Amino acid sequence: MSGFFTGKGIFGGGIVLLVLSVALFAPLLVPDAWATQMDMRARLAGPSLAHPMGTDQLGRDLMYRMLLGAQSSILIAGTAVLMSLVIGLPLGVISGYFGGWLDNVLMRLVDTLLAFPALLLALTISAVLGPNFTNTIIAIGIAFTPYLARIIRGEALRVAQMPYVEAARAAGTNDLWMIVRHVLPNIMPPIIVQATISLAFAILAEAGLSFLGLGTQPPDASWGLMIQASRDYLDIAPWTALVPGAAVAITVLGLNMFGDVLRDVLDPRVAS
Amino acid sequence: MAYIINRLLSVALTLLLISLITFVVTNILPGDVAMVIMGTQSNPEALEGLRESLGLNDPLIVQYGRWITGMLTGDWGRSLVFKEAIGPLIADKVTASALIVVMSMSIALTAAIPLGVWAAVHRDKWQDNAASTTALLGVSLPDFFWGIMLILLFARYLGWLPSSGFVHPAEDFVGAVRHAFLPSLALGLGLMAHLTRMTRSTMTSILGQEFIRVARAKGLTERTVIWRYGLANAIGPVMTVAGLQVGYLFGSIIVIESLFNFTGMGWLTYQALLNRDIPLIQSTVFVIAAVVMITNLIVDLLYVAIDPRIKLP
Amino acid sequence: MTALVSIDKLRVGFGGAAAVKDVSFDIAPGETVCIVGESGSGKSVTSLSLMRLVEFGGGEILDGRLVLDRESGPLDLARADTETMQQIRGGEIGMIFQEPMTSLNPVFTIERQLTDGLRMHQPLSATQARARALELLKEVRIPEPERRLRQYPHELSGGMRQRVVIAIAMACRPRLLIADEPTTALDVTIQAEILALINRLKRETGMAVMFITHDMAVVAQIADRVVVMYRGDVVETGPVAEIFANPRAEYTRALLAAVPRLGEMKGKAAPEPLRLVGDDRAVTPLTPRAVPEPLLEVRNLTTRFPVKGGVLRRTVAQVHAVEDVSFTLNKGETLSLVGESGCGKSSCGRSILRLVEPVSGSVFLGGDDVLAQTKPALRAMRRRMQMIFQDPFASLNPYMRLQAQITEPMKNFGIDGGIEKAAELLDRVDLPRDYLRRFPHELSGGQRQRIAIARALAVSPSLIVADEAVSALDVSVQAQVLNLMMELQADLDLSFLFISHDMAVVERVSHHVAVMYLGRIVEIGPRAAVFENPQHAYTRALMAAVPIADPATRKLDGDLRFKPIPSPIFPLDHQPAPSVYDTVGQNHRVLKEV
Repeated sequence: MSGFFTGKGIFGGGIVLLVLSVALFAPLLVPDAWATQMDMRARLAGPSLAHPMGTDQLGRDLMYRMLLGAQSSILIAGTAVLMSLVIGLPLGVISGYFGGWLDNVLMRLVDTLLAFPALLLALTISAVLGPNFTNTIIAIGIAFTPYLARIIRGEALRVAQMPYVEAARAAGTNDLWMIVRHVLPNIMPPIIVQATISLAFAILAEAGLSFLGLGTQPPDASWGLMIQASRDYLDIAPWTALVPGAAVAITVLGLNMFGDVLRDVLDPRVAS
Repeated sequence: MAYIINRLLSVALTLLLISLITFVVTNILPGDVAMVIMGTQSNPEALEGLRESLGLNDPLIVQYGRWITGMLTGDWGRSLVFKEAIGPLIADKVTASALIVVMSMSIALTAAIPLGVWAAVHRDKWQDNAASTTALLGVSLPDFFWGIMLILLFARYLGWLPSSGFVHPAEDFVGAVRHAFLPSLALGLGLMAHLTRMTRSTMTSILGQEFIRVARAKGLTERTVIWRYGLANAIGPVMTVAGLQVGYLFGSIIVIESLFNFTGMGWLTYQALLNRDIPLIQSTVFVIAAVVMITNLIVDLLYVAIDPRIKLP
Repeated sequence: MTALVSIDKLRVGFGGAAAVKDVSFDIAPGETVCIVGESGSGKSVTSLSLMRLVEFGGGEILDGRLVLDRESGPLDLARADTETMQQIRGGEIGMIFQEPMTSLNPVFTIERQLTDGLRMHQPLSATQARARALELLKEVRIPEPERRLRQYPHELSGGMRQRVVIAIAMACRPRLLIADEPTTALDVTIQAEILALINRLKRETGMAVMFITHDMAVVAQIADRVVVMYRGDVVETGPVAEIFANPRAEYTRALLAAVPRLGEMKGKAAPEPLRLVGDDRAVTPLTPRAVPEPLLEVRNLTTRFPVKGGVLRRTVAQVHAVEDVSFTLNKGETLSLVGESGCGKSSCGRSILRLVEPVSGSVFLGGDDVLAQTKPALRAMRRRMQMIFQDPFASLNPYMRLQAQITEPMKNFGIDGGIEKAAELLDRVDLPRDYLRRFPHELSGGQRQRIAIARALAVSPSLIVADEAVSALDVSVQAQVLNLMMELQADLDLSFLFISHDMAVVERVSHHVAVMYLGRIVEIGPRAAVFENPQHAYTRALMAAVPIADPATRKLDGDLRFKPIPSPIFPLDHQPAPSVYDTVGQNHRVLKEV
């Protein structure tokens, strides 16, 4: 049941690869002009040869906008998760490895932040800083940091108590070397899994923020914005909601599947 | 007893920290209350006068002291947008949100527990794959997308249920439930998927334990082994996760209540954020964090009550 | 006489692989058949197949017959339907398992777990079932049975829980009791009690017992007949006396040669390696030097751990893990700390290396006080003392190549040699040099423990603390590692502080022995003095409880009952009395009772 080459692994991995390459190459494949081109004669048009996925209320091609949306979605979610890793990793490792009063203080702070629902925290920060591309990243990044810090701390604590760490200590290994050679390699697999799943959640969060108007701002393309815009035309043009909705669902599904498979492959506690 | 006191002390300290964080975050705003009230184009002297009278020129710590004293004494200030006292406003909206939080949690648990147990029992067989894949799909769709699909299906196409608005349960209970049903379902579907995954993994590890083998070796039927011996041990962990998901729900209601024009806490918070109604933001954010904290406290205490291993002397 | 159970050509598979290949043997009514083998022999799978529980773990009976002689006539369990199996499980065959700590459902009372099986098989009212449950608890001799009924599993000790599991298995008077390693997780005194209990129940009820174990000493104590299994096949069956006196199969002979027998060192002056089958090297005793030279001197060592609780989680009590312990370990010798779980032997070893911080006392290594060192000085001192841990799977970093793990201590202390030295160390522990490029998961448990030894040797220490270093290994591997350690001691003049719960192993390897109980050394002296002339009541109890791998010396008859070990947790203001000893022989001292 393990290994990447199960149905789930191939499907999840394939989607992740596809979405990543779309995000990477979208600006090359889809010139901005195409995606902002308004076809006033074909507003809210259904799928056709000219517009394979139909058009939106301004007559813009939904497929192009969906592809550009992939780019901003991945960029925002990816940078935000990276940001929370950059903050959360040192915090979690120091807290879990050294323990003591520092651990108590840091984890008290993290627990307090965890009482704020992540989406609420992200919305508040975004509203306070003013919604735009960078601030959306900051908002999601800050909102996700306590979760990652908590998990990393738990993993570091687990590893710090392993006999091989004690053996290395008995062999004269110092704390820095211990963290670099023993703790980090052993906490990496679960963290990679967690980062993958966090990326899925970050994409959902970005879509939610944009949907509420507190994330990506028009005229930039974003899946959340596209769903928001579709609300008034659901009866006559349901595809305007289905196209971005399916894009979010498939991307997040792929990441979650990929995360599940990674967990099976990487986690030494599951694998024998 | 010591456990309860410790938990209460910890909750009190966390609430204090929550208030501090809320206050600090809302005060790094480029504008302030005076600017929001008078607009950015206002006369600088008038603005300064308003600031002085609102106490906005005092040191932050003094302002925080004033705010927290107000919160503790029940004087939560007035909303700039709604021109009302914040306390009663929030009290009213919290009741509305409680309705959909409870309904969505009930929907999610009723479906997730049997589904998760079923998947765990048939681990790695088609039943498990089907349940797990469905659950994965469920956690992968944003809840507002569920919401839109539900509106399309039940409100527009079938016309069975209203797609927007709120009715107070005290006035018309059936109407209240009808109005709350679609938002609750939209919230409940994602939650259900998450709890199904959780129940499955908890039950899988429980079913692998020695006491399950002992129960089978006694000759008990599979039904007893799974639904009594197994589930009795899974309830605690599943309940804990469900409790933690209340936090997630209070994030999601901001989106869902806005989508369904359901005037609860989420909708109120969204209005406050959109209009930069700083006093209202502070209060709603604080109340939501506090509700989440207290829910978790209650779940922890329930766990103590149902698990004999944690004993209260 | 017809067999109660007749297993014929059983073949069981997991996925693609066959865990049991071709197993046939009978169990007669009223006899105890021991299935013995090392890990991977298929002994547990065989017993689970008989109960048809193997299916729940992903196994499948591929072939063969499992005939049970029922009152209604013989029945092949391999083909029985679910309802029939549910009647047989608990009704005609009872089963007990290895882990008493997890064998009981943590959220149900003992009463519920006893009665639900009863009422499944017999038409009893709640009151009748309760009365029967009480009877059963009395039958397994649990103190205060009425109170136990209302309790939850976590309120009972491991020994008591295993008695409850036995009561559950005995509830419907089964004709066969399957016991799958029922004493492996238990301390030796509790093990003796449980073995005696199973023996008594077998005698009183006339049931047959199928006893699965890896421990030849337990086999010698309890079996009527023995089935020896190896990698899914039966290699030998026969009456117990026959198996021990004249083992026919090569494997049985090797297995028996690897088992240390308590008492076999009688009259020998020094420890000596085990004589293993296929190893023709001369066995040389490890004679200590004429004038002993002290290496490690431990004086009044005391280690306590805080117990947090109450409001604000303050320290409310202390675990007195190590209490006023003093001993001397000489150069080139082995001193063993022996005792049951929780006696403080591991904490003592860790305190000496300062992996935990002692409260008071002194530890002199070659004249320097370990406890007085600053942090950098302590790091430097660790070059002279190394440790080997119990779990060979957890004591190596899974993500580091073995070469990096062996050279790490050398790098830490700036020792030259690098790869060449690492290769030599592998020669030293009898592993091929190309293992340096491997990762730990590519090695077996015994090989990993050899790597751990090589890593400890890398900095040429004078003292090695071996904390249950062979306890997790199969008996044949254990013997090889023990021999290696003795060989290294002779060649490198090493001193071992050997921490173990296994009296027979300790007797084999030690020059000196210290018996620990509740954090204190209760008896210490030369190995011969402690084992041949034990003076302290606890040492005597231990000696009485240890099973001997010789069917001629059976000692588990009657009703064994040892004094339970009290808790080492005391209030903060508790002032323990100092340890005072009576000298009863040369270097042989016994703790004076307070």
